[in-house]
Amino acid sequence: MKYFFYQLKKSPLAMVGIAIIVFWLIAAFAGPSMISFTHTEMDSMNQMVAPGEYGHVLGTDSLGRDILSRIVYGSRSILTVALLTSIFSTVVGILLGFSAGYFGGRLDTAFLRGMDILMAIPPLVLSMVILGILGDSSIASLTIIVSIAFVPATARVSRGVLLTEKSQEYVSAARIRGENHLYIMFVEILPNTMGPIIVEATARFAYSIMMVASLGFLGVGLQPPTPDWGMMVIENKPIIAQAPWAVLFPALAIASLVIAISIFSDFVSKVLIHER
Amino acid sequence: MKRLMEMFLRRLGSLLATLVVMSFVIFLLVEIMPGDVAQMILGQSATEEAVAALREARGLNDPLLERYGRWISGVVVGDLGDSIYMQGVSINSILWRKVGHSIILAMTAFIIFVPLSIFFGVLAGVKEKKPTDSIISFFGLATMALPEFVSGVILITVFAVQLKWFPIVSVIPIGESIWQNLNIVVLPALSITLVMFGYISRMQRSSMISVMNSDYIRAATLKGMPRRYVIFRHALKNAMLPTITIIGMNMGWLFGGLVVVETLFGFPGMGSLLMTAIKTRDVPLIEACVLLITVIYSVSTMITDIMYSYLNPRIRYQGGQK
Repeated sequence: MKYFFYQLKKSPLAMVGIAIIVFWLIAAFAGPSMISFTHTEMDSMNQMVAPGEYGHVLGTDSLGRDILSRIVYGSRSILTVALLTSIFSTVVGILLGFSAGYFGGRLDTAFLRGMDILMAIPPLVLSMVILGILGDSSIASLTIIVSIAFVPATARVSRGVLLTEKSQEYVSAARIRGENHLYIMFVEILPNTMGPIIVEATARFAYSIMMVASLGFLGVGLQPPTPDWGMMVIENKPIIAQAPWAVLFPALAIASLVIAISIFSDFVSKVLIHER
Repeated sequence: MKRLMEMFLRRLGSLLATLVVMSFVIFLLVEIMPGDVAQMILGQSATEEAVAALREARGLNDPLLERYGRWISGVVVGDLGDSIYMQGVSINSILWRKVGHSIILAMTAFIIFVPLSIFFGVLAGVKEKKPTDSIISFFGLATMALPEFVSGVILITVFAVQLKWFPIVSVIPIGESIWQNLNIVVLPALSITLVMFGYISRMQRSSMISVMNSDYIRAATLKGMPRRYVIFRHALKNAMLPTITIIGMNMGWLFGGLVVVETLFGFPGMGSLLMTAIKTRDVPLIEACVLLITVIYSVSTMITDIMYSYLNPRIRYQGGQK
């Protein structure tokens, strides 16, 4: 941890990244109480107002809704879903990947085959089709389905790191001591593989944001009236010539968040790989 | 060569197996869709008897496996069935034209992003830790992190709204073909390019760095060979290998990206067709589109693997055993 902050001091880019992430976290928690408009309020007198006019800091859309408050409210849902998705897919990935890699043999073969099949459909297409078919996405269904689409990737990473650790001496020592399999997997091996798994999880967080935003954009994400960044982009695209801000600001919100997380994840991987 | 052939056949076999399982999964997936197909065709005002009769006539009451069998045997001989939403129009007559458009879009993007990202990746790798490298690397990280529709929206604002060089929406006027309207392909292709550029140039950069630090490059340099010759003749050959894999692996993203980009621009391709199919709950059309995407994706993954082992003599001569 000390080393982490030491490295952080030397890397201004990573500091900017963390600052942006913290900014969005604060916006999600405290933001709504700081804005004078609500996200569903339609100011019918002030449609497509330019940024800064009539108290609408980032302008309004074609229905007269305040862009800033919609972005701030939208940050809540996207951060919640993305965080849950990355945790969920990482945990399921560890469980699947570890048991396949640890026990090997037929279980492993079945695991690899199954993952191959899941991977035969691009993740975005898979989740978009399932969500579209089910209709009416909620935070729960979005989280579960995006996680399913991500599990092949996380499980393979977990299996890979387990295989490199499995042949270590401390594992055979534990086996000779007569520890049970669960103990060996999760108490002996898991702590030693945390590095790559954390790196994968932070990268997954960035992917989740992209994925959730893309699904919202395609109209199969969270349904109105919940504001969704991706949906704001496609909703307002028809008025892009008259009111470019209505499209650009949500797009920039997505961009800043994903770039910040990617920078952070790059930094984490640099630190953790150095530590070894 | 014999080993390569053997590997090819083995891969083909597992590909077929995957596709069979996948087609069943797709079929099941669409089957669980809430709502009654017959009710959808006839509309809400239809009488119960009429709906029941249509269910019987279309064989919707048959057991699941029988229906799957009927569907898949049609697919094998090239009959994808009829669209439900566009009452009875055969899917073959809609799908292939759109697939053609998507292929043109994907190929255009491919032709732009592959040389571009390899070139800049090599440049960044050769100039490691110099300003050129930092700029290229940060640009790559930024574009890679942006979903296609975000970079697309920025492109639209700049090139379509401000400069008015290209249209905001990619629509083909009725009666014209895509070849008369090639300007509609440019912005969608560029949005895909931006995303791919990040992945590929980063990969190219890191593999270039590791190759440039290897002994044989040092030997070539010490021999007094011109730097350009060392980079392009010696280093690039080996540094290209990981890049090829990453290009192949990203084909999946490319297809996901196509759906997004086509929706953003209203481009008349396979992706926006799939989107419409989902919105209108057009079961046979969803099945056909997803199956086709799966086939294209799996085949491109297979080709990548084979190309990789063909280009890498270590794998070629040991028959795929590392």
